[in-house]
Amino acid sequence: MSDHDFHPRVKQLLDGDLTLADLPPELRAEGEEALRLLAAVDRRPVAFPTMTERVMLAVNTRPSPAGWRRMLEPREIRLRIRPWVLAPALALAAALIIWIAGPRTAAPAPSLVTVRFVLVAPEAKAVSLAGTFNQWDARATPLVRTGPNGTWTATLTLPAGQHQYAFVVDGVRWVPDPGAPAVDDGFGRRNSVLTL
Amino acid sequence: MIASLVALPLTLLSLQQGIAQRLAGRVSPNVAAAVEGTGTAASARGLPVDPLIQKAIEGGAKGIADDRVIAAVNLVVSHLDTAAAALREGGASADTLTIAAGAFAVSAGLSGSDITALARVGATPAALTVGLRVAGTLAALGVPPAENIGLVSVSLRSGKPTADLLLLPASVESEVAKGSTPAAAAAGLSRAAAAQGRHGPPPGHGQPPHPPTPSHP
Repeated sequence: MSDHDFHPRVKQLLDGDLTLADLPPELRAEGEEALRLLAAVDRRPVAFPTMTERVMLAVNTRPSPAGWRRMLEPREIRLRIRPWVLAPALALAAALIIWIAGPRTAAPAPSLVTVRFVLVAPEAKAVSLAGTFNQWDARATPLVRTGPNGTWTATLTLPAGQHQYAFVVDGVRWVPDPGAPAVDDGFGRRNSVLTL
Repeated sequence: MIASLVALPLTLLSLQQGIAQRLAGRVSPNVAAAVEGTGTAASARGLPVDPLIQKAIEGGAKGIADDRVIAAVNLVVSHLDTAAAALREGGASADTLTIAAGAFAVSAGLSGSDITALARVGATPAALTVGLRVAGTLAALGVPPAENIGLVSVSLRSGKPTADLLLLPASVESEVAKGSTPAAAAAGLSRAAAAQGRHGPPPGHGQPPHPPTPSHP
């Protein structure tokens, strides 16, 4: 029996819109039959193969080309060493070893330190922080105005080490941190120094 | 020999590409080309390249003219050379981090002989690197070289954790805030550290004189 044979009221019963008691007496037997069939449905989840599984299944069942078959078949291999052929390969291998294990500093993972930067600039419209830790990008680290007296702050987590930085006021004026030591920046200005 | 001939151009090419990538869009092509050349030569001498790149990027961000950026980069190279030579003279193993720290100290006002004096203390490379950074920071705070090197040397010799070294600038600033000069503050801290080294840590600090008795079940 297909669902096309059910009475529309019985379909409502199957949809949960009606109960068996709501059906007229002449439809109750049909309703009971429909419910019995519904209860017999196997509701265990069906695992459909994923795209990868389907592709791999197709690949595995496809016959190997003749060339592949030859490669997969076990056979005897004899190696004859010719030094003049090996020399360039050895040179390349040595170059790669030097390249990989060359004189590079093995820097340990730096520890992180959280730092709060503060600048009092009552007249400023915007303040940001630029330094070695953000590639001197004057837009990368804006400070937030945190008080009515023009206090601007930003809290950053930086790797331990030595950092140089400056505040950028209104996007144009580079100002060293008045609360930190400073060094000549090489351009006639001062960079603040932070050693963590 | 063949390996070296193959590896060297590969390394140089990669280094130049790395510099070019980091500078792309941050500096003018003129500055980028100059830094590539200077950086390649510096790297061949065992110097770190990152400080050069950082200085070029900083110049670009600050809108500095190309010739001044290139001059500043060359000054950084000069500081790196000074630091590397001073570290070698002091018998320290000069890895790139230590050289960069020494160059920072030089840029802050210390001399090659100051760097050599710190290198001769015989600290581990990691401790020496921190010591050089701290010495540079103290110089930036106005501590004269003699008091600066004296304080950092005695702290390095004490074998304390590097975290203690990092507290020195704040300690000097604290003394200066109380009315001391940077020189006097550093000298006072140096005397205190030396006395502590002779007599051990003050009560309540440092390791206990005897290991704690193990508990028995």
